[in-house]
Amino acid sequence: MAEESILSDDFLRELMNVGEVDILVGLPTYNDARTVSHVVQAVRAGLLKYFPRQRAVIINADGGSKDSTQEIVRASSISDLQNAPNLHALRTLHSISTQYSGGHAPGAALHTILAAAELLRASTCAVVSPDSVNIEPEWIDRLLRPVARDNFDLITPIYRRHKFEGLLVSNLLYPITRALYCKPIREPYPSEFSFSGRLAVQMAGLDIWQQETGRIGGETYLVVSAITGGYQTGQVFLGPKSRTDQSAPADIVKALRQTVGILFSTLESNFPSCSAQGEMKIASSPDGRPAEIDTEPIRVNRKRLHQMFVRGIVDLEPVLKTILAASTLAELQRAAALPEENFRYTDELWVRSVYEFAASYHHSIISRDHIVQALAPLYRGKAYTFLTENRETSAQEVEVCVEQLCVKFEELKPYLVELWNGKK
Amino acid sequence: MTQLPDGLWYKDAVIYQVHVRTFFDANGDGIGDFRGLAQKIDYLAELGVTAIWLMPFFPSPLRDDGYDIADYRTVHPSYGVLDDFKAFLEIAHARGIRVIIELVLNHTSDQHPWFQESRSSRDNARRDWYVWSDTDTRYHGTRIIFIDTELSNWAWDPVSKQYYWHRFFSHQPDLNYDNPAVREEMWSVMKFWLAMGVDGFRLDAIPYLVEREGTSCENLPETHQIMRELRARMDQEYPGRMLLAEANQWPADLGPYFGNGDEFNMAFHFPLMPRMFMGLKLEDRKPITEILQQTPVIPENCQWCLFLRNHDELTLEMVTDTERDYMYDEYAKDKSMRLNLGIRRRLAPLLDNDRRRIELMNGLLMSLPGTPIVYYGDEIGMGDNVNLGDRNGVRTPMQWSGGWNGGFSNADPEALYTPLMLNPVYGYQAVNVESQKRFDHSLLSWMKRLIRARKAAPVFGRGSMEFLYPANHRILAFVRQLDKETVLAVNNLSSSAQAVELDLRRYKGNILIEMFGKNIFPRIGDLPYLLTMGPYEFFWFRLRKI
Repeated sequence: MAEESILSDDFLRELMNVGEVDILVGLPTYNDARTVSHVVQAVRAGLLKYFPRQRAVIINADGGSKDSTQEIVRASSISDLQNAPNLHALRTLHSISTQYSGGHAPGAALHTILAAAELLRASTCAVVSPDSVNIEPEWIDRLLRPVARDNFDLITPIYRRHKFEGLLVSNLLYPITRALYCKPIREPYPSEFSFSGRLAVQMAGLDIWQQETGRIGGETYLVVSAITGGYQTGQVFLGPKSRTDQSAPADIVKALRQTVGILFSTLESNFPSCSAQGEMKIASSPDGRPAEIDTEPIRVNRKRLHQMFVRGIVDLEPVLKTILAASTLAELQRAAALPEENFRYTDELWVRSVYEFAASYHHSIISRDHIVQALAPLYRGKAYTFLTENRETSAQEVEVCVEQLCVKFEELKPYLVELWNGKK
Repeated sequence: MTQLPDGLWYKDAVIYQVHVRTFFDANGDGIGDFRGLAQKIDYLAELGVTAIWLMPFFPSPLRDDGYDIADYRTVHPSYGVLDDFKAFLEIAHARGIRVIIELVLNHTSDQHPWFQESRSSRDNARRDWYVWSDTDTRYHGTRIIFIDTELSNWAWDPVSKQYYWHRFFSHQPDLNYDNPAVREEMWSVMKFWLAMGVDGFRLDAIPYLVEREGTSCENLPETHQIMRELRARMDQEYPGRMLLAEANQWPADLGPYFGNGDEFNMAFHFPLMPRMFMGLKLEDRKPITEILQQTPVIPENCQWCLFLRNHDELTLEMVTDTERDYMYDEYAKDKSMRLNLGIRRRLAPLLDNDRRRIELMNGLLMSLPGTPIVYYGDEIGMGDNVNLGDRNGVRTPMQWSGGWNGGFSNADPEALYTPLMLNPVYGYQAVNVESQKRFDHSLLSWMKRLIRARKAAPVFGRGSMEFLYPANHRILAFVRQLDKETVLAVNNLSSSAQAVELDLRRYKGNILIEMFGKNIFPRIGDLPYLLTMGPYEFFWFRLRKI
């Protein structure tokens, strides 16, 4: 029986009508009608302003939206039947939408976009987040130009954020990726990024997309593949980035699965052989050092973070015993026993904890998914410490702290190697 | 030739544009002439054209290739005498080919006796035949057309010590159409040629006849009134003749030149032409469909004139700045190819001598609504010489054979009015009529078949047009319809093979008959009609319900 295609016949027909393009902008969506209109207009304006002569297409891979997301995206086409008021376009701009099967999954959306890029022979591609309320047309230029003009294969973003925005990135993903893959990628799990057609073709052909790895963490996989595959990578400063819905609590377990879990899994084939592949290039000059975004303070319930850390250490003790070294667990238990005002999760202890999780993941001590889930309370403890220590500091001082943490991850890398090789 | 009863002959015409100087030299002086042109009428008849548009052939100092006329009532001595023209006219008519001559109403040469008289003194009876002024600030809002050479629309006359108005070169003073004597004289000139038997006039630089303060001095109501008067007089005294307007304007401004069917019979569709090239390069039908969507509906007895190239630069006046930059970058990277706001190149070089693209563009020319004009030499794929100044690079001698002077003239090569094309790609030894006549697959032979197919389907000249909008934007598809005749044209603007689904449900039950090979294609049903097309391929289908 023939393998089922991820591309529906209708979508394939639309791709045939689009034909070969120079630029493809992917837009993964799921019930994003509230914000996607602004995003798609910014994308369209960016394409018309900065790439008026290039053949471009907007590809919306939708996870089964029940709102008008797809209609909004489709309406942004520019053709001889569908003129955009006040926008003069030299050529037709198709904006097409498809629903991939299997329900909402970021990796499936990315796979659809990659497949479209391959079929349309797009040489320059980008993915933008449908909830990037700060996106400007200039983002499209900054993302695409290094790939289109300077032969970069992957461009990841640098954002200007609130100092407490993106804690998982600053406390874990950025430092560990930098340490283990020797690339200072500020956003290893990017919501906006661009990539070359050759990287798209290579990625589209991988087997990961039918696996959980691909379905939930395609972006991370793509970043790691670019690093380890010797592709030319770079970063661009885009601008302020803020969450669209700050009231919604983040599902930390889900986020860890999508990021740390994928990162750990990529180590299987790359660590410890991966080493410095060269410096990470800044593809375009950042607009100064990304400083704190001037937004309302983020309200975080630190007390609850602490409580969840303490409860996690207690409740998950049997699991943590199998993952962590006895000394590490003992230190954590001692810390958990301290009154909240005295609690502090040091950088060194945090790095050792993470590396022991990574090694346990490698050795499959227990179910890998359980390992990743068990990291959640520890992360909460680290986040509590970070928030507490930096309550009064400036964004620049926070950056110094993040840098110190990165250095600690790098210093302790030999420790992970030892664990990895089973010497401890 | 007696005038055909159908006064709308121009709607079915296929026009061939030629300058007598460039076509064939019968007397061996290195310059084409009317006797030579008459000798080549058979060639044009074989090609299938039904009308010839002759560029200005009047006495002239030739500082603007004859558009600077010094005498409206005879023939430039280099091209023969008036009797030679009459003989040519008779032969053309005998072969069923009508003759359209060109008149420049807007201005004369500064060597014209009228201007010499006018400038001789401020009291001269013809002083008011031109537009004079003490200052050069009048009509301040009027654009300069020849921006590469002219700094102002006014020129100082040191003889009579006033400024005179000129929209083109300063040696081409504008006539004053506010003067009834000028209008009467120009009608007299037209009558002179109409009485001889010419079938129509291509009237040059029409939008600029009248000037008014505070306006752009273009497309003014007074200009339209003058043209309506001339048309009325022509229709009354010489029915069945035709006026063709050269008005390089936006579609909305072109509509009024047709009036209520009582002004011009035809007008060039200038904005369409660059967009055909743009659409081809972009591989996107959008520029073409958009400009045709903006094109006003014209009276039943009127017609658009379509062309790919002509004696001028590929004008980019009627495009946006973005579009112009794109066209320059794509079609005239070498800045020497640019002139004024345009590109001074011929069809074949513009299309990289790509036979498929040349065919596609000619296919569009012959199938879009309007009367097509073929510029001399483009039917064999002649090249251009950008090393010659101004627009002379697209006005080189017709290449008849690989022999002496390309068969154009027996004169010494040094005596030719301009050098022949000699390069290995476009030179007369590579590109000429004689060699192309030998083969059925030559461009010339193909053009004959194309013109034959066009003439066999009156729907192309007179039918309505409706675009289909297939989702594949690289495909330009439209239906032409006249009475019971329906033709479907499908054009692949892309350099690669394309699949396209056409919504033809309204023609359900019809079969398609491809008009060149006469092959039958599947019957139209309820499903989208699927066609696959090769790079730059086009189809013309006749729809038949059998």
